[in-house]
Amino acid sequence: MATTVLTPTSEGYRRSWVMEWLTTVDHKKIGILYIVNSFAFFFAAGILALLVRSELAVPGLQFLDERTYNQAFTMHGTIMIFLFVVPVLSGFANYIVPLQLGAPDMAFPRINALSFWFLPLGGLLIFSGYLFGGAAAEGWTLYTPLSSGSYSTGVGTDLWLIGLLLVGTASILGSVNFIATIFKMRAPGMSLFRMPILVWTVLVTATLILLATPVLAAGMIALFIDRNYGGSFFDPNTGGNPILWQHLFWFFGHPEVYIVILPAMGVVSEILPVFTRRPLFGYRAFVFATIAIGLLSFSVWAHHMFTTGQVFLPFFSFMTALIAIPTGVKMFNWLATLWRGSIVFATPMLFALGFLSMFLIGGISGVMLSAPPVDFHLQDTYFVVAHLHYVFFGGSVFGVFAATYYWFPKMTGRRLNERLGKVHFWMHFVGFNLAFFPMHILGIQGMPRRISDYSPDAGWTVLNLVSTVGAFLIAASVLPFLVNVVATFINGEKVGDDPWEGNTLEWATSSPPPPYNFDKLPPIRSERPVFDLRHRHDAEHVEVAKVEDQ
Amino acid sequence: MEGPSRTRSLETSRVLVHDEEPRDELMSRPMARTRIRVLLRAGALLALVLVATACGMVPSEPHTKEAKEVFWLYNVVLVMGAIVFVGVEGFILYSVVRYRRRDDRLPTQIHGNNLVEVIWTLIPTVIVLVLFVLSTLTLNSISKAAAHPGVSIDVEGKQWSWVFHYLDDDNDPTNDVIVQGTARSGGVMVLPVGEPIHLRLISNDVIHSFFVPAFLVKRDLVPLPEAKKPNELEFTVTEKGTYAGQCAEFCGDLHAQMTFSVQAMSRADFDKWMEATRSGESPPPPSVGADAPVLKLGAANVAFDTKDLEVAAGQPFKIEFTNDDAVEHNVGIYNKDDKELFKGEAVTGPGKTVTYLVNALEAGEYTFVCDFHPGPAMTGTLTVK
Amino acid sequence: MTVQVPTGMSADITTKTEVSHREAGMPTPLVGMLLFIASEVMFFGGLFASYFNARAVHIGEWAPPAGAPELEILPIALPITIILVVSSFTMQFGVWAIRRGDQRAMRNWTLITLILGVTFLIGQIYDYTQLGFGISDGAFGTVFYTLTGFHGAHVFGGAVGLTILAARAGQGQFSKQNHVAVEAISFYWHFVDVVWIALFSTLYFLR
Repeated sequence: MATTVLTPTSEGYRRSWVMEWLTTVDHKKIGILYIVNSFAFFFAAGILALLVRSELAVPGLQFLDERTYNQAFTMHGTIMIFLFVVPVLSGFANYIVPLQLGAPDMAFPRINALSFWFLPLGGLLIFSGYLFGGAAAEGWTLYTPLSSGSYSTGVGTDLWLIGLLLVGTASILGSVNFIATIFKMRAPGMSLFRMPILVWTVLVTATLILLATPVLAAGMIALFIDRNYGGSFFDPNTGGNPILWQHLFWFFGHPEVYIVILPAMGVVSEILPVFTRRPLFGYRAFVFATIAIGLLSFSVWAHHMFTTGQVFLPFFSFMTALIAIPTGVKMFNWLATLWRGSIVFATPMLFALGFLSMFLIGGISGVMLSAPPVDFHLQDTYFVVAHLHYVFFGGSVFGVFAATYYWFPKMTGRRLNERLGKVHFWMHFVGFNLAFFPMHILGIQGMPRRISDYSPDAGWTVLNLVSTVGAFLIAASVLPFLVNVVATFINGEKVGDDPWEGNTLEWATSSPPPPYNFDKLPPIRSERPVFDLRHRHDAEHVEVAKVEDQ
Repeated sequence: MEGPSRTRSLETSRVLVHDEEPRDELMSRPMARTRIRVLLRAGALLALVLVATACGMVPSEPHTKEAKEVFWLYNVVLVMGAIVFVGVEGFILYSVVRYRRRDDRLPTQIHGNNLVEVIWTLIPTVIVLVLFVLSTLTLNSISKAAAHPGVSIDVEGKQWSWVFHYLDDDNDPTNDVIVQGTARSGGVMVLPVGEPIHLRLISNDVIHSFFVPAFLVKRDLVPLPEAKKPNELEFTVTEKGTYAGQCAEFCGDLHAQMTFSVQAMSRADFDKWMEATRSGESPPPPSVGADAPVLKLGAANVAFDTKDLEVAAGQPFKIEFTNDDAVEHNVGIYNKDDKELFKGEAVTGPGKTVTYLVNALEAGEYTFVCDFHPGPAMTGTLTVK
Repeated sequence: MTVQVPTGMSADITTKTEVSHREAGMPTPLVGMLLFIASEVMFFGGLFASYFNARAVHIGEWAPPAGAPELEILPIALPITIILVVSSFTMQFGVWAIRRGDQRAMRNWTLITLILGVTFLIGQIYDYTQLGFGISDGAFGTVFYTLTGFHGAHVFGGAVGLTILAARAGQGQFSKQNHVAVEAISFYWHFVDVVWIALFSTLYFLR
């Protein structure tokens, strides 16, 4: 018995295309808005990166003066983290999670829309510093006292603070939405341990956002008060403590990096089973590892502060080392999923495999940094820049592209071209490693980060040049991707409900889904309801399904 | 309410019946054999690159007692990381070759294995604990404070230069050796080899960081509230030489220029240097007549009020320099080859004027600059005709 | 058969497919409010952390800053604390009333709570004028005003919520079965009260 639905195109609800997108509360449209907005900021921040790499290619200041350079890397980091990588993954989650749960929408659709629209507004505020005497230029971490009113005059930093408060509020509201949706709107039969693994990672991510972002908000408000109302939170001359800023910032900042990586891990955990035709190995272990990472992430923040001389080193070193364990467990579970699988190398799978390899390197360099004596040498050098790009870019951004190629057919009804996808992947992969691997070496040799120029006698020139070439190759790799997207919209391969032979509920409805998502749901007896349906006549599988049904 | 009729019939069940749909071509196509060769070639190339980069992945020769211990720990950690990388990455590469899709059969559906989970949780736990213990032992060893440091220095970092104030026991600050670096020419910290050096790291403006790559160490200079003691750093240099140093905590516009160097020499040479610096032989001031030309120059908001000065060649002249800022400025004169011809003493305003006496210059173009803020706003051209 | 409307309806209606199930457990809007309150706890946590950090690094006079008169709990701080605590009780009486189906009583208790809350705010503002130090008078001054100021802002937000509840109750929109907004606002109001108790104890007693 199907539900009866008022036809979406009936008189009462017809409105123009523009009004529809501006006022929609449909999670699918909002998800697409998030994704498109985020990619726009990605390209803007990417151009800032190219400015930075162009200036650093050879010694001497060729194009930029110091202050412009400092604004460039500050804004690059800020935009990439707050306006690209977190929102784009949030966008995919917004689109996919209700579908994977068998729900018709998010728990609070209007708050969902509000959360989105704060993003372009906040982003524009942050960027507007350029129009008012200079954007923020103290590094995305805005350490005090440098970011206080005495040393950073002008409104750029204030605009940054206000813009980011808006973006942070949007995040927090979004996390309330995700958690409520996941706990309250699952389809009948979907117990917590039958949820797709992406939903679990989104749940833990949302919890981290909920609990960590407000602390950043408190810190940013405190800095705003110091800058504009004569406050003394961080001013050592009037009883304040500059290190307090670092504590507040990193108490948020460390969970933030797990907020960035966990959804990408969820995406990879969705893709690997589909393209190997195996279930995710150790689903429960994976869930517990994700929860463990979430919990531990609140206990390691001061490993960003080892060289300040103001933190208790053994505790933070120990907890940082510990967090490597659940991360390793996840890696092994992914490997075991590949083992004895039946692998096909569609573009989503290529990016997922790239994620595994690049995140591995980023994880290893992170463990190296967890030892304080080693960190004393490598902190604030290009080794850290290499590490963070291997996990953020090699990890999350590879995950973003994997998600894009994987769910593009679901969202548009057309599949992106495979050949162009492979060109994009290989250019991206080679460019990425060329740009960032040499940075490990530069850091080890002593090149500090956040410098606009370096001495020609330092011996850093060749590797910087190589890195710049890699950066431009990454930029070039965007072209096949954009051409692919445009061409596919115009005349791409049309697909049905389930072009990849997927496992989870989003593949049980049309591409794209109707506004109400589902007419009817298949029975839900495991974390792979669509797989179960596809193989319901396969005796062997039925046996396994029975065992799992406990 | 009648809208346009929907193209999909509502009675049709929308639940997918996959075995009746045409199989997606992409998902069933087995991988071609030639791709293995491509992968093997890629793998060999990767291995080559790895070996090549391994050479750059180790710091250059460390030059303090403490650095040598850190160097050892670093190598242990690097080797552990390399083993993990080769193992895991090797597994990935093997799997993608070995398990590429050959036919349409469903592979065995293994959902998990508790024993295996326990094993690969315990093994990383052990590895990580070992790493932690080694790290803590090394940390304790390099953090030991010497009972009698050979030299004690107060290191002050400020935007954007270093000051090294050598402490002695005589309670007389007027005869202390102070090395005043500038952003243009970083200060040199002269030290004796083989003796513990004790540094106190002080800042009164923003956070800086004292970093010498050859010593495998850095420590922040934090402007702390009164109740907290400044950071301290100790090390013993083991080989004579000159070692580059640089600020490693982003500190504003000219962070990239906040360099210094450390020069380690024998104790005897060090003592000679201390004596010479203390007695301070400065060159005799130029004899400048009362009717010598006077160039007027002002500084406000970290900028000179003029970027062009002119003076006649062949005679000494004066520069009347007024500093209206609360930070120190000076005037330095350099020739085309960046050789320092004149260095005026620093003056801190607001509203302070100093008259510099400069020796005669030959005709040509020179640069005058504030050594503490050598950015475009405080750089100008002195034309000597 | 269920009618679905594409935009803006609450989740309750749209999940009722052919397998009808009454929503089990806590209503979704209440879940949302609890989650939001969790984030607010962390926000105030960050501010409290700043307070204790500043206190740990201070030397000399701490509370109040040098030159300011002693921080007194009378005649303002203690009475307004009592007023706010009483307002939590009146709020809860309102909740119990609507659970019984008595919308008029709920409205009256809500209005009393609102009056008490506004009295608290007025008292707080008056206290500010009597303190003798400002936000730019050292670390204590800054943290004091930031903490109490943001708390006051949250009380104001709660007052707005109470006004809306009273207005809706006046329109007859609540019933025994359908009053989740009252429950949600009451959670928020209790939270605001608990934060004040922590603030008051820290700023005026613990120092």
